[in-house]
Amino acid sequence: MTTDSAHAPATPRTAASGARPADHRRTGTPRPRRRNRDTVAGYVFLSPWLLGFVGLTLGPMLASLYLAFTDYNLFTAPEWTGLENLTRMAGDERFWDSVRITLIYVLVGTPIKLAAALAVAMLLNYKARGTGFFRSAFYAPSLIGASVSIALVWRAMFSTEGPVDSTLNLFGINMGGWIGNPSLIMPMMILLAVWQFGAPMVIFLAGLKGVPAELYEAASVDGAKSWRKFISVTVPMLSPVIFFNLLLEMINAFQIFASAYIIGSGTGGPGGATNFYTVYLYTRAFANNQMGYASAMAWVLLLAVGVLAFILFRTSKSWVHYAGDSK
Amino acid sequence: MFRTLTRRTLTGVAALAATGLVLTGCGGGGNEPAALDTEEQITLNYTFWGNDDRAARYDKAIAAFEEEYPNITINDTFTDYPSYWEKRQTEAAGGGLPDVMQFDYTYLRQYGDNGLLLNLEDYFGSGITTDAIDETLLATGTLEDGTFAIPTGYSAWSVFQNPGLLADTGVEPYEGGTSWEDYDAYMASVTEAGGGTVYGGTDTTQRIQDLELKLRQQGRELFTEDGELNFTQEELAEHWTEGQENRDSVTVPQSKLEEINPVSGFGGAITTSEMSWSNFLGGYLGDSGAEEITIVAPPTSNPDEKDLYRKVGLMQAASAQTEHPEAAAAFVDFLINSPEVGEIFGATLGIPASETQLEGANLEGPDKAVKDYLDSIEERIGDAPAAPVNGFGAVEQTFWDLGKSIGLGAVTPEDAAKQFFDEAAVTLGN
Repeated sequence: MTTDSAHAPATPRTAASGARPADHRRTGTPRPRRRNRDTVAGYVFLSPWLLGFVGLTLGPMLASLYLAFTDYNLFTAPEWTGLENLTRMAGDERFWDSVRITLIYVLVGTPIKLAAALAVAMLLNYKARGTGFFRSAFYAPSLIGASVSIALVWRAMFSTEGPVDSTLNLFGINMGGWIGNPSLIMPMMILLAVWQFGAPMVIFLAGLKGVPAELYEAASVDGAKSWRKFISVTVPMLSPVIFFNLLLEMINAFQIFASAYIIGSGTGGPGGATNFYTVYLYTRAFANNQMGYASAMAWVLLLAVGVLAFILFRTSKSWVHYAGDSK
Repeated sequence: MFRTLTRRTLTGVAALAATGLVLTGCGGGGNEPAALDTEEQITLNYTFWGNDDRAARYDKAIAAFEEEYPNITINDTFTDYPSYWEKRQTEAAGGGLPDVMQFDYTYLRQYGDNGLLLNLEDYFGSGITTDAIDETLLATGTLEDGTFAIPTGYSAWSVFQNPGLLADTGVEPYEGGTSWEDYDAYMASVTEAGGGTVYGGTDTTQRIQDLELKLRQQGRELFTEDGELNFTQEELAEHWTEGQENRDSVTVPQSKLEEINPVSGFGGAITTSEMSWSNFLGGYLGDSGAEEITIVAPPTSNPDEKDLYRKVGLMQAASAQTEHPEAAAAFVDFLINSPEVGEIFGATLGIPASETQLEGANLEGPDKAVKDYLDSIEERIGDAPAAPVNGFGAVEQTFWDLGKSIGLGAVTPEDAAKQFFDEAAVTLGN
């Protein structure tokens, strides 16, 4: 990866995209029968996944699309109500509250998490003793972060007279527990998300390895200092990776559930401050028996995330530089 | 590798990640009748809500049952109350309810009317003995199509106190059954003496039972005969507002309660009193670690009104889809009638509804205190309200969640009342 990708910009930009049609010609056109057999074999190998996809993902998704337009209480057959779920949603204060809370979490949490991931990735990019250990150490939280046990541990850490409160007290900061305080629970949730920066960090690290050293050398010759190099070399060269991480982390952040459910006792507590979109969706579905409404919420979320991703893609044209793009 | 990341792969990744958003559920179940065979190895799933104390008691009861029926094995699981019902709803939708369940009167109509519960009447006299069960209590499990659950016992709303904790504050115990002002004054003195670590009680407007008690003291009920809310939005806002003074300086701050949830303030030994159902005594003893817990009558604004009632709370029910209905019925019968189970549980599932179990319970110590309490409030016991409307469980939970939010200052009583009425309109309209 290191040598190949480092030399990638040197090769003509059409090389990557040109390779694929050539492949097709080589294996496909001259021997059609072989190709058909390959296709069949391909689908056979795919079939376990396809079965799972159709049975466990596509089917339920279509079912939920239907339920989104019904009144379904889990006990009696769904009743078609058309757009009623959507109109109710528009006037549902708790729904808008959950949208607001989730957006704050996504829009504040994701950039901080990515910034932390990039900063640590850059530190770990230096060759120094023990980097292997630190890479694993920083990556570890993202493996366990979404688990129930970690949510329980954070709950304990941030309660009154828990480790965080006691430590802050030492410095004369007396805030009490964060868990029971509606205005401190969001910072804590964001902190929990940021703490799991390991996954984007590893991807940043791989991206940083791919930035050719010549560019930094050239910048140095031109008299650029570290900050300038970061802004003019690292960021543009890393922009596809930044975009990739941004997209993935944003979509992930929208789906926050387990930790919010545990920390907020499953009811969006304290005082509705952890009433994230998915928590509210879950409450509607399983505590209030409004599966139709919950399905409609699921589809609204899917569409909203789709639209946001689309907007990100559109803006990306002006700031993401792909290897092979003319910009 | 990331240098050649293309727009196309990114679109693919985004689409895949977004697809993962939609939640789904599924399940399955069988429906074959089987005779109670003493040879065949049968495993029944049983589930209940409660705490460690209750779990330990069930372990003993199940061991006793398995000794009597060596071919039946009981697999038991438990959770706290709110998640208990979330799990059951999912299972109900998927047809995978456990064979036998601890049940709640609140949810009886919802499950029974929808054909999810085994009609236990089919086993009366042949597996389930009903002779010893109090008739009025037995009738609470009966809907139009049959009897779908049997109550373990009954309880009544009450004030619990922790004498050990109270002694440290030097405040005299609340005597019970006097005016609300008396009780408020008691709570205030404890909180003042407690110095920020011990409080006199918990917000007495937070739960729907608090409102029910207040309404019944005015000779009213929570619901009309048609199952509609029997109070106005303004009255609800007023009810919650009345608790404001106590919330500001007397009762335990809601933020502290959030931290120890699902244990209550009284269970966590940070309040000296709490109002709840009398069968909570065992759980409170376990949670708080207190040596003694006393129980007295709730305050009243109108001593002549019959504001309290015998509440059927816990019940035992079986799934309509169980593969071993005979075995399930045998287990229900054992849980309801066995003197041994009575001895194990005492009054922690209510004062036993079955005479044989009550004898076995041989109530003493704290259980006797509950029985004595129920006897002592005889004069205040009125007719029980009609069976909970379909959806009452959700309404009750919404009320409590909003009550907590008010305590945290996250919502005003007026807004909370509006939200409650919006919510109830949808839930009860179902």
